[in-house]
Amino acid sequence: MGKKVLIVDDDADIRTFASSVIENSGYTPIIASNGEEGIDKIREEKPDAIILDILMPKESGIKMYREVKTTPEFSAIPVIILSGIAQRTFIRSQKALAEDGEAVPEPEVYLEKPVEPEELAATLKKFLS
Amino acid sequence: MSKLLPPKLLLIDDEEGIRKLLSISLKSDGYDVVTAENGEQGLNLFQKELFSIVLTDIKMPGMDGIQVLKEIKKINPDTEVIVITGHGDMESAVQSLHLGASDFINKPVSDHILSVALERAEERLKTKKILNKYANELWNMVKEKTEEIKRRYEFEDKLIRRSIDGIIATDREGNIIVFNRAAERLFGYTEDEVKSGKKADDLYPEAIMHKISDIFSGKTHEADVIFAGQDTFLQAKNGKSVPVRFSGAILYEGDRAIGSVGFFQDLREIKRLQKELIQSERLAAVGQTVAGLAHGIKNILNGLKGGVYIVNNALKKSSDSLAGASVEKGEPESKLRTGWDMVERNIHRVSDLVLDLLSYSKEREPEYEKYDPNIIVDEVCALMESKAKKNDVTLIKSLDKETGEVYLDPKGIHNCLLNLVSNAIDACIFDPDSGKDWQVKVEVHADREGGVIYEVIDNGCGMDHEVKDRIFTEFFSTKGNRGTGLGLLVSQKVIHEHKGTMDVESEPGKGTRFSIRLPKQEFTEKK
Repeated sequence: MGKKVLIVDDDADIRTFASSVIENSGYTPIIASNGEEGIDKIREEKPDAIILDILMPKESGIKMYREVKTTPEFSAIPVIILSGIAQRTFIRSQKALAEDGEAVPEPEVYLEKPVEPEELAATLKKFLS
Repeated sequence: MSKLLPPKLLLIDDEEGIRKLLSISLKSDGYDVVTAENGEQGLNLFQKELFSIVLTDIKMPGMDGIQVLKEIKKINPDTEVIVITGHGDMESAVQSLHLGASDFINKPVSDHILSVALERAEERLKTKKILNKYANELWNMVKEKTEEIKRRYEFEDKLIRRSIDGIIATDREGNIIVFNRAAERLFGYTEDEVKSGKKADDLYPEAIMHKISDIFSGKTHEADVIFAGQDTFLQAKNGKSVPVRFSGAILYEGDRAIGSVGFFQDLREIKRLQKELIQSERLAAVGQTVAGLAHGIKNILNGLKGGVYIVNNALKKSSDSLAGASVEKGEPESKLRTGWDMVERNIHRVSDLVLDLLSYSKEREPEYEKYDPNIIVDEVCALMESKAKKNDVTLIKSLDKETGEVYLDPKGIHNCLLNLVSNAIDACIFDPDSGKDWQVKVEVHADREGGVIYEVIDNGCGMDHEVKDRIFTEFFSTKGNRGTGLGLLVSQKVIHEHKGTMDVESEPGKGTRFSIRLPKQEFTEKK
């Protein structure tokens, strides 16, 4: 149970579900319910992977993603986006933000809700083993 | 007499003595004198060089003075000819004056009389010269101005012909004087068709024609501008109405109105683009709704899947523990609860979402009661008054106390009427014809069979056939993302529940009338 996975989602059910998948895969889940809390948890816990929702109050999923990818000490952490938003919508939103800021690399994995638990588990395994 | 250039003078006389005498006298007066001893010689000299003054004796052998005078006047009518007549020969004197001589002097010639006659001749020459100069200048000016007018006329003619806007000019009687190419394109008539047989009132929109006629007949004394940039419709040859922006003016000559000119800007392309914009906005709104809905549903689905996953896990662990594996006591039960709660919660979420959606088209049981239908009109008008006022629409209500109290569903009818009045005000807001005094009339009448008729009449933009055929269809809205497309559908349902009918009459640009007919209801008790 060495590796830690941070799950950031405003929906409690998704947090419970993802935590369960993380535990069953043999990792330790760390929970945050918004982007700001998520950044704090990265500093405190130094997770090995992040599962991130996009559409959360105050656009904090979009902001948090940018912050993770533009902060040198965080940028190597693989980010698994888990969102109800289609991938191309997310990419477009990042491009729109990039027009006045710096371009951000695309996430390692993009999963659309609803996600199969097996798919989530396999994705975690791919990055953590 | 002091002159810079001595005037040239020709003296013709057959008597040598007189020639010599007069020459001396004339030269001393400053003239450059040339003499001739008879008419023929005189004329020869005259033809070689033009003299401004000729002094000729009348009685001469051969060609006499009268003939010399005639010939000289033929050659140059401007020459001053002074004739010298014999003493008492008034007849010749008068004759020569008739023939254009400037003066006559009797023999014997007195120096004084001669110099007076010459002075007068010179005076006349000077005046003539000035007059000639003026006449020339005037002529040149007229020529120049005529050319300028011609150029300007041609320029203006081209301007009118080539104008992108349709231009029509009429005289006082309404006959078409100008009908340019753009007007041909807008109206579909050729210039010839219009100029032979069409009048202004065949072409101008009615309201505009009214105003023009009022000005011509003196009913109104308004400024010379009829309309400046008013959006309206004109009737083309093929019967189609064409959206245009109209500007026009009355042409005056002094105080008298002599005609009118109208400019029609083609709005077809603009209108088409506007329509496309509304359409794309509507599609975008639909897309947004669907995207929003999809996002909500995806989260719920993930919650359900998650719940099922956790329940399955717990069940597996529970069977593992039964099989003897080491499992913390109580763990499967608490996981089972967590998973099951998730499933339950998400089932609630999905049912809430569906109910929210359904509430748009919710079946409401009508609640009938004895009610004064006039009150509903009062209530609806009170609610809509501020919207109407804000958009310059006059809201007029017409009540009928004859109706008495009738059985109806006040809430249903209220919503129905509210929807129609709101639509009517929208029709005025959407009306491109900004010159209209918009009004929405809400009327209630008792019908003969004890039923009630409601009418909502507006003079807004109206509807064409295509729109009219589709207004009672689900999700059809002309208001872009402002409308849900459900309003009229719900209204119609309420009326059908009352066994009533709803009819619509509409004409693009004129307005719309919705009529609701509610038959007498035979209810004995409330439900």
